[in-house]
Amino acid sequence: MNFSRRHFLQAGSAASVGALAVGCEKIEVPAALRIGPRTITMPEGPFATPSGKDIDLVSHALNRLTFGSRPQDYQRVRKLGATEEAAFAAFLDQQFMPERLDDPNCENAIRRFEVLQEPLGELFEYQEKHLLDALVRSTVLRAVFSERQLYEVMVNFWSDHFNIDPSKGDAKWLKVADDRDVIRAHALGKFPDMLRASALSPAMLWYLDGRVNKKASASDKPNENYARELMELHTLGVHGGYTQQDVMEVARCLTGWTVQETHRSKLNLGSVEFQPLLHDRGEKIVLGHVIPAIPKKAKPGEIERLGRAELDTVLGIVGLHPSTAKFIATKLCQRFIADEPPADAVSAVAEKFIASGGNIPATLRALFATDAFLTTRGNKLKRPFHYIVSALRATQATTDAGSAIQDYLLRMGHAPFHYPTPDGYPEKAAPWLGTLLWRWNFAVGLSNNTLDKETQINPEKLKASFATEENQMAHLLGRVPTADEITACKASGAPLALLLASPSFQKC
Amino acid sequence: MTTQTSLSGNGDQLKTLVVVFLRGGADGLNMVAPTHDDGYYRARPRIAIKASDATRLDGQFGLNPLLADLATPYRDGALLVLHAAGSEDATRSHFEAQDLMERAGEVAGGWLGRYLRFRGAVTSGALSAIAVSRALPESLRGAPAATVMRSLDDFVLGKNSGTLQAGLKKLYAAQADALGASARDTLDALDRIQRIRETTYVPAAGASYDRDEFAQGLKQVARLVKARVGLEAVSLDLNGWDSHLTQSAIMDPNMRRLNAGLSAFYRDLGKQMEHVTVVVMTEFGRRLAENSAFGTDHGRGSVMFVLGGGVRGGRVLTKWPGLTKDVLEGPGDVPVTINYRDVLAPILQRHSPQVDLAKVFPAYELKPQAVYG
Repeated sequence: MNFSRRHFLQAGSAASVGALAVGCEKIEVPAALRIGPRTITMPEGPFATPSGKDIDLVSHALNRLTFGSRPQDYQRVRKLGATEEAAFAAFLDQQFMPERLDDPNCENAIRRFEVLQEPLGELFEYQEKHLLDALVRSTVLRAVFSERQLYEVMVNFWSDHFNIDPSKGDAKWLKVADDRDVIRAHALGKFPDMLRASALSPAMLWYLDGRVNKKASASDKPNENYARELMELHTLGVHGGYTQQDVMEVARCLTGWTVQETHRSKLNLGSVEFQPLLHDRGEKIVLGHVIPAIPKKAKPGEIERLGRAELDTVLGIVGLHPSTAKFIATKLCQRFIADEPPADAVSAVAEKFIASGGNIPATLRALFATDAFLTTRGNKLKRPFHYIVSALRATQATTDAGSAIQDYLLRMGHAPFHYPTPDGYPEKAAPWLGTLLWRWNFAVGLSNNTLDKETQINPEKLKASFATEENQMAHLLGRVPTADEITACKASGAPLALLLASPSFQKC
Repeated sequence: MTTQTSLSGNGDQLKTLVVVFLRGGADGLNMVAPTHDDGYYRARPRIAIKASDATRLDGQFGLNPLLADLATPYRDGALLVLHAAGSEDATRSHFEAQDLMERAGEVAGGWLGRYLRFRGAVTSGALSAIAVSRALPESLRGAPAATVMRSLDDFVLGKNSGTLQAGLKKLYAAQADALGASARDTLDALDRIQRIRETTYVPAAGASYDRDEFAQGLKQVARLVKARVGLEAVSLDLNGWDSHLTQSAIMDPNMRRLNAGLSAFYRDLGKQMEHVTVVVMTEFGRRLAENSAFGTDHGRGSVMFVLGGGVRGGRVLTKWPGLTKDVLEGPGDVPVTINYRDVLAPILQRHSPQVDLAKVFPAYELKPQAVYG
């Protein structure tokens, strides 16, 4: 992690550290952030809205690179350049430097979740329910309120890619650190750095059993769980060219990495250690690369050094492998372009992934420059999380991301940190098609203000954000409404609910 | 494509699994008594069920008189009893044992949730999974579209939403893709539920549901099954089986509820029981020996019931270990000879032939029980 990123992460979270961090020598909290909520001047409407019959580039960018437009966003982004293209380019520049975006709304929204900044060992002082609630709520609130939208979108992407369901073992406590130190720390960083952080994340060592992968005696068989998912899900992809033998060899390379557990100890809980005596010292061959045996006469320090190094050797082999590039590029294109993205877009993104050494912003820039991205608009089904967040943003709702929101996310099977298997929530549309009833119910509840008292909209203020009703419709649709839409809205008597429930608002 | 096909992915063969969890550790030995095992009477001189009171099931076991109505589906061949069944968890802690059973091991998410994710159908309907309770049970964790049902009112689109629904019909009519198809299915389902809500429900065949929560929950499930809204999995709890003191005061009311609820449901659904499987399970059984307070303490093996769904019933499936000292486990408990996963696996497979059982029950070598003969 370079200095600016570390600084950004601390600043981004510092407000939430609040009172707990005061007097704590380890974390520096900028003084300005210690003194309660920041004052925010909200821009006032009426705002300009999309004027095209089809989704223009600015609306497209807001659909895909953010969790949806707030009333002011279209005008704000459109004004960044003389043309749509120039505005889009300027918007990208902003979003790729999240540390430079002031984020007072988000800081205010998440300042109460100071627990998320607790060092590893301290996390065990909290009830796991409390931690899960803080994780889920802060994730929703950041998606709703942060100006660093592309960063939050990528956090969402990588949370699925390196999915951990915290309900397993000590991950109940440790996922907080994983979210902070793996996913958020590297979401717009370098893939190899994120991969290494994930491999050594105590939550991941729990979730995929790396902590029990050991070779203490001749009869010990390595636990292959992490090794398999490392290749199948995190890097090469299931058809990435590895064999069952490679899985076993990688598992052998990773023997000896363990976590201090709640069952065994009270000291250094959650810290990751390499135990040379539990490491398999024989020769391994991973995807054709020979990793020599550790010499029998090696001294303990030498065994430790060589054993630890095998982790980096393995990650070096798979991290920027062409199969990995293709796999990650495919997933990114599925997220940003279409469920079945065109092959040339995937190749362009994969090439940039390798050429840039897994630099995530560079890879994304290549993706956003493809014709496929620029021209495939309004075709992706929003997943339920995206849908809920975009509805809250579109209506400028206030929310605590409490039970009203979480109930809906649970019903639709898309609450953050609730996906059981390591493949993460599915990206394609099909698994989510059964969620319409709850989307419609949410649309009705939100527009009637009947969700709960913590999640509310202000209909007058929303109305005042737009010069005409049709402008408000254009804001919600990302384009001017069709004649059918105008008629249906008038007839329904509940235009806001109908539009939030409409097919166009389900898509991005 | 009919509504049913696209809602559930299994067309006319739509099957519904109803999981009834008896929380608190239900005493299988007094529910289905080993009336021909002397060890049972020696260990429970005061609380054992007398052979003469029990309804004979086979040469070895008899039903507690309070469960006597279950003899009807048993004789119809629609009720399978499994004995000395349970999980590998030996902590005898309610929390740990329930958790393990609902997740099926030290894994993430619940087995029912994983089943719904990996059952081989891509899409889940809005009403495919329901928990009749106040909170989502662990077993349904990770499910797509799982709903905690408090009442059928949860399934409407606001009040007076007729015009809104008309608007939605119009806007989605123009959608030729899967989203449009799904929207039309959802609107159909809403219509059906609306009709259910507007009519007073009359159970079939003179079945009558008691007023208790369990029976009323089953009644709602029966209505939804009959309305064909795409219901695939239901979780229902019957709590309060922890019978440490004066066992009969604790267990008897619960057994009456179980007996009456299941019997009404069985009668009400009639022939449709062929497509509905009810599994009754508990986290552990009770110690063989009664304690000094006319109760029993936490044990290991207990009973499971499988009702309907084409099960080959009329049998007590067990590898009965006997109740001699040498076979009892730990402080004197009936060992678990049938793992609950091996009962569930064939049922899940029958409901969803494409199910990926390795994902539903990871890190476990299945030895499926012959529940279908």
